[in-house]
Amino acid sequence: MKFAAPKVLEMDTAMTLNQAGVGCDLRIHVLSGPGCERLRELGFCEQSQVRKLAGGRNLICSVCGTRLAISRELAEQVLVKAAG
Amino acid sequence: MSLPSDLAATIALIGNPNAGKTTLFNALTGENQRVGNYSGVTVEVKAGTFFTPHGRKLRVLDLPGCYSLRAGSPDERVAVAALAGELPGEPRPDLVVCVVDASNLERHLQLVLQVVELGLPCVLALNMIDVAERSGLRLDPAKLADALGLPVVALQASAGKGVLELKQALRFPLPHAVAARWLAPGVAPETARRDFINRLCELAARRPEAHQLTVSDRADGVLLHPLYGWVFFLGILLAGFWAIFGLARIPMGWIELGQGALGAWVRSLLAQGDLRSLLVDGVIGGVGGVVMFLPQIALLFLFIGLLESTGYMARAAYLMDGVMARAGLSGKAFLPLFSSYACAIPGVMATRTIHSAKERLVTIFVAPWMSCSARLPVYLLIVPLLLHEDEGSWKQPLVLFGIYTLGTLSAFVVARVLRGRLGPDATAAHFLLEMPPYRLPQWRYIMRHVLERAWAFVQKAGTLILGLSILLWALSTYPKSSGADGAEKLAHSAMGRMGVVLEPLVRPLGFDGRIGTAILTSFSAREVFNASLAILFRVEGAGDDQAQRGMLRAQLAAAKWPDGRPLFTPLAMISLLVFYIYALQCLPTVAVVARESGSWRWALGQLGFMTAFAWCASLLIYQGGRLLGLG
Repeated sequence: MKFAAPKVLEMDTAMTLNQAGVGCDLRIHVLSGPGCERLRELGFCEQSQVRKLAGGRNLICSVCGTRLAISRELAEQVLVKAAG
Repeated sequence: MSLPSDLAATIALIGNPNAGKTTLFNALTGENQRVGNYSGVTVEVKAGTFFTPHGRKLRVLDLPGCYSLRAGSPDERVAVAALAGELPGEPRPDLVVCVVDASNLERHLQLVLQVVELGLPCVLALNMIDVAERSGLRLDPAKLADALGLPVVALQASAGKGVLELKQALRFPLPHAVAARWLAPGVAPETARRDFINRLCELAARRPEAHQLTVSDRADGVLLHPLYGWVFFLGILLAGFWAIFGLARIPMGWIELGQGALGAWVRSLLAQGDLRSLLVDGVIGGVGGVVMFLPQIALLFLFIGLLESTGYMARAAYLMDGVMARAGLSGKAFLPLFSSYACAIPGVMATRTIHSAKERLVTIFVAPWMSCSARLPVYLLIVPLLLHEDEGSWKQPLVLFGIYTLGTLSAFVVARVLRGRLGPDATAAHFLLEMPPYRLPQWRYIMRHVLERAWAFVQKAGTLILGLSILLWALSTYPKSSGADGAEKLAHSAMGRMGVVLEPLVRPLGFDGRIGTAILTSFSAREVFNASLAILFRVEGAGDDQAQRGMLRAQLAAAKWPDGRPLFTPLAMISLLVFYIYALQCLPTVAVVARESGSWRWALGQLGFMTAFAWCASLLIYQGGRLLGLG
């Protein structure tokens, strides 16, 4: 039990791409959901860096030098952490 | 002409959307396929040939862009089938050139690895090397080639740089297929590919620092802004509208003058008789009434070409997503519908980029209600007549804007109803769109494309519309009657008799047999309506024509029912405009819809629905207006 604590903390700091603030540099933690296959093809992979450029009805993110517009439903399937 | 036997090999170009495959294809073959800075401009396989430096003739296929070989949308399935050699009439390619955007290797390499895994020999073309270098990316093609085991060529296809080197790399013997060295037993292929690419990019494509704010990012800050973005969007649309309806006046005046001079010249050469009548009334009058609109059609294609080439089209789709959602569609339907303002045929074909099959069907169904350029001549003939004025007043663009809005809004309502009835998709398709970096327009390709479309329009005027004009002239001239009165002559002719048959059908809409005949002829092409009217109404006040369209309008204004009432009352003209907004009078569109939807029932249902809707809407306007005492 002693060793479990840090891991729980780590999960707590993860948030969905929708929750992240605009202009933040983020690192993708986990992808989960029906749309994640499509997201991976577009460069949304675990460990890649993302910057959220705009929120709203559809989000705009920059991944590997490309800007992508994705819907909120898809962004909900992307768990990110602040890039440190 | 070449026989298949002298072809040395078939090469396929594949890559993610917007990686520059078509630009490379054009640079290799010297052809002029349409390119745009928007994913999904190429939706079909295009083929061409070129020679290697050693004089071997190679056949090259330009495949639609795809993100993976999993094939989600129809255009991606085409690309996958082409690689497998399953396309009818196309052999399995001997070599695949994987075109990747050098500034985006992490993403684009995914597809390259999948192609290698298929066991096809590959050459890697690192395109847009200039963009990558400007963004500070440090690329090492030699290390890439070494790690992947593939020949790698760096190029900038838009400027023709590196194309010769690529041709050198395609010399014989062609490279062999290589082993997919990243695959390992016990590791999922996706994971293996991802790890391999991450290692490779660290080695051979080092980014200076994560996320530098590029010029495009800054431009997007304004152009996608919730408020300013819309201001720019509407401003751009209005500027385009103004160019098409205001600026085009100048060259249209020249055409009009030239046509009047030509008519007067022919008139002075020939004696009164059938030949003069054929040339002046049939050929010059009929074809001229259509060629007049060449500048506007060229400007419309230029406008759409500019939006695509600069990369703004994707932003427009992003902005419009919310609006389209109200019609049950997504932002992806914006480009097909917007292109349909030029012509429904490319619009219907562009729906291939829509992932959701049902959304695609609905988009195809409503696309013809975006008023296409063929309807413009009809609108431009009728609207000034409706307003009792010459061309050029500020009210006309407003009425035209209203016409376009009515068609568009009706399309959205029908789309919403239809989308609701079709139900949700089996697998949810979410909005996902790449925003390409802004680029300067590729003027050479845009101008060539505009010239091509303008030439196609002139050809149509010179062949189909010329033939129909002569036919219409003959039908309205023969059999001849002995009477001297023009109206009596027409009534006696084959066309006049046809009009009598048609009249009961169109009379409730406020049209007489002549307008009915003109509508019937416009089912071959809508522009023919003008030519038909010019021929059918020449009997009233045929004088020397200086401004052909102005004269036609004067004749139309003077046209009367047999009992002396004016024929073109405001109400009848509105009814006519409404009919043209809604009627699907374009057989080529029906054929394309049948092919794209894979169902003749869908295409014929659309034709029947739109024709019936147009008739009912016109009926409602005319009879409703009369009940209110407007007619």
